[in-house]
Amino acid sequence: MSIATRSVERGDSSITVGPPDHNNRSRKRRQFTRRRAWTILGFLAPSAIFVTIFTYYPMLSGSQMAFRNWNLNDLSNTDWVGFNNFIEIFANADFWGVLGNTVLWVVGSLIPQFLIGFALALWLRRRFFLRGVYQAFIFFPWAVSGFLIGILFRWMFNGEFGVINDLLLKTGLIETPIPWLSDPHFAMTAIIIANVWYGVTFFAIMILAALQSVPDDLFESSAIDGAGKIRTLFSITIPYIRATLALTVLLRIIWIFNFPDIIYGMTGGGPAGQTHIVTTFMIDLTQQGNYGQASAVGLIVVLVLLVFSTFYLMAMREKKEQ
Amino acid sequence: MIHNRKLSLAAMGVVAALALAGCSAGGGGDGGTVTLNMVESLTNPARTTLIKGQLDEFEKANPGVKVNLISPPTDSADQKLQQMLQSKKGIDVLEVRDITVGPFSSNGWLYDMKDDLKGWDGWDDLTDNAKSYTVQDDKAYYVPYGFYGLSLFYRTDLVKEAGFAEPPHSWEDLLEQAEKINDPSKNVFGYAFRGGSNANSNVVAIIEAYVAENLDKANAFKMNDGSTIFAAPEAKDAMKTYLELFEKGSPPSSVAWGYPEMVQGFSSGTTAFLLQDPEVIATVSESQSITADQWGTTPLLVGPSGMAAQPVATAGWGVAESSTHKAEAVKLIEFLTSGDRTIDFAKGNSLVPIVKGAADDPYYTTGPWASYVTMNEQPETYLNVIQPRNVSWWTEWVKKSDTEVQKVLVGSMTSDELLASWDQFWTDKWKNAG
Repeated sequence: MSIATRSVERGDSSITVGPPDHNNRSRKRRQFTRRRAWTILGFLAPSAIFVTIFTYYPMLSGSQMAFRNWNLNDLSNTDWVGFNNFIEIFANADFWGVLGNTVLWVVGSLIPQFLIGFALALWLRRRFFLRGVYQAFIFFPWAVSGFLIGILFRWMFNGEFGVINDLLLKTGLIETPIPWLSDPHFAMTAIIIANVWYGVTFFAIMILAALQSVPDDLFESSAIDGAGKIRTLFSITIPYIRATLALTVLLRIIWIFNFPDIIYGMTGGGPAGQTHIVTTFMIDLTQQGNYGQASAVGLIVVLVLLVFSTFYLMAMREKKEQ
Repeated sequence: MIHNRKLSLAAMGVVAALALAGCSAGGGGDGGTVTLNMVESLTNPARTTLIKGQLDEFEKANPGVKVNLISPPTDSADQKLQQMLQSKKGIDVLEVRDITVGPFSSNGWLYDMKDDLKGWDGWDDLTDNAKSYTVQDDKAYYVPYGFYGLSLFYRTDLVKEAGFAEPPHSWEDLLEQAEKINDPSKNVFGYAFRGGSNANSNVVAIIEAYVAENLDKANAFKMNDGSTIFAAPEAKDAMKTYLELFEKGSPPSSVAWGYPEMVQGFSSGTTAFLLQDPEVIATVSESQSITADQWGTTPLLVGPSGMAAQPVATAGWGVAESSTHKAEAVKLIEFLTSGDRTIDFAKGNSLVPIVKGAADDPYYTTGPWASYVTMNEQPETYLNVIQPRNVSWWTEWVKKSDTEVQKVLVGSMTSDELLASWDQFWTDKWKNAG
């Protein structure tokens, strides 16, 4: 018999929920009374109202622009146009190139970020002199604005007076300066290098936190059983923190996909649109005043990421069950 | 428990009251004082200080009127302005630029000051250029506070070392001199080419110079026969010269150069020539790499016909249609754009002034500013033209044209395709606009 049923039988007006009474912890729980419900609602209300007004309302309001002729340069006609904005986006040959760039940008940034971040986390887990100082230096990029990083790297990668070409020339690795940001192939490489520098930190932080949750006993036991470092890594460490790794990778994919700051600061999507990803493409549209098409791109991004996240999480769950 | 609950409710009540108070805050005035909200968009700290000083003078001269200056960061200023204008609240006077006047006015956000300016005693002091920019299409949506105009910055020492007695006068001269000075092995280049942001502006400048003889001065993207300048045969010659200038006399990475790289290229001593606005004078003067006797300015480059079109850019002050204090707002604009005050503002921001009196000021008749005076004194050579920057599709044009210039530079589009695309774009836009 549940607590709720017994409460009704006693004629008690309080609403009670909770696990069955065979669980001792439930007795210690405070009863969820109507009075408490109002108090909780009262405290929740300000943040709920805030989020509704400042997050969900603008989001929905922005989404409806995708189905209207919403051009800020001429708001005299903002009629509903159905899926016209989406059709125009898909008919735009540049958009498909932008999608390809986005995939390259995500994959090219994610893999080095993950590998270097993992290596750094493994290194930082060990105790050594001034470990805290090293950690602070490694985590520093995460505290810097992405746009500022873009501007800094823009100057560093400058073909004529950039420090990167200067170093490469002085060390004899190249004989002529590389036009990093003006050659379409080098430009994508340059923005990915900048993003790797920035994103390694996030993986290092998250993986280090996960590594610190692995009990030392496990490592000691595996050492006694004669497991080497590689075996310990793949048989103990990675399986233990797999959930964190999966979530971190998912978050990074979403964030890299949605991260125009560095590109915007470094190349503005150039040269000739060759480093545009969907979000810089969207910014370009808003700068032209075309909020209708920009919103359509925004919704496409949301849809793509939703579908991807669903499949990714399903795949992860399946693997865990196996 | 009851006490705690009452306390919680009281706290929530206070929070709600504060939130509502915040929502209902508005401009206006009290006790007979009118408060004008003025929003600038090309914000920088020195300029804001200068404006505040002038606003203090205005408040002293006009008791009962207070001005509240709002200075959003430049990067987000236009969006902030648009939001304020769209909400029709909290804005009386605003910074209007030649590239924003089109969309702002077509959305009905700007007040037409034409009738108010009729009795203004400062009107006659304005230069012809300032007058023609103030009243366009029989409407006066803003009064310019100054002009940005191109001139050629050049390295006197490098030009001399290359064996030239004079700086370039024409685009062909520039190509010849830049090619001779260009020496990548020494990291010295001829021309600070603009291939990045706003690359279209310099392409248009050379095309206008090449078609200057038959250019429609009231719409410098049109020929006198009504066709676009991009369809003219001379435009192909202009593109040929311009691309040669890139290939033979410019840094390869300048495909991505925007304003900061161009200015850095010249002021660091890497490039010998730079086509830029007068605001660069201050930056180059502070350079640690080149001394004052190593550089100078010369007028805008002419085309084969010996003429050039000055593609003037401008910005000024306008009044919001939603303002409830239009008379005071117009008075403030008249105050800011009159007499020595406007010359001080122009000097402080490296602008070509809007009043005739500046032509006698030694500040403008000597040194790097002299080339601007020369251009103004020779209107038959340096045509005063108006580019159609006030159209609502201007930002769309800038994005499109910049991308296509880069496509030509990286070889994924030909210059003929670019000209055809630009011709089609403007022909269609004008046709649709009626």
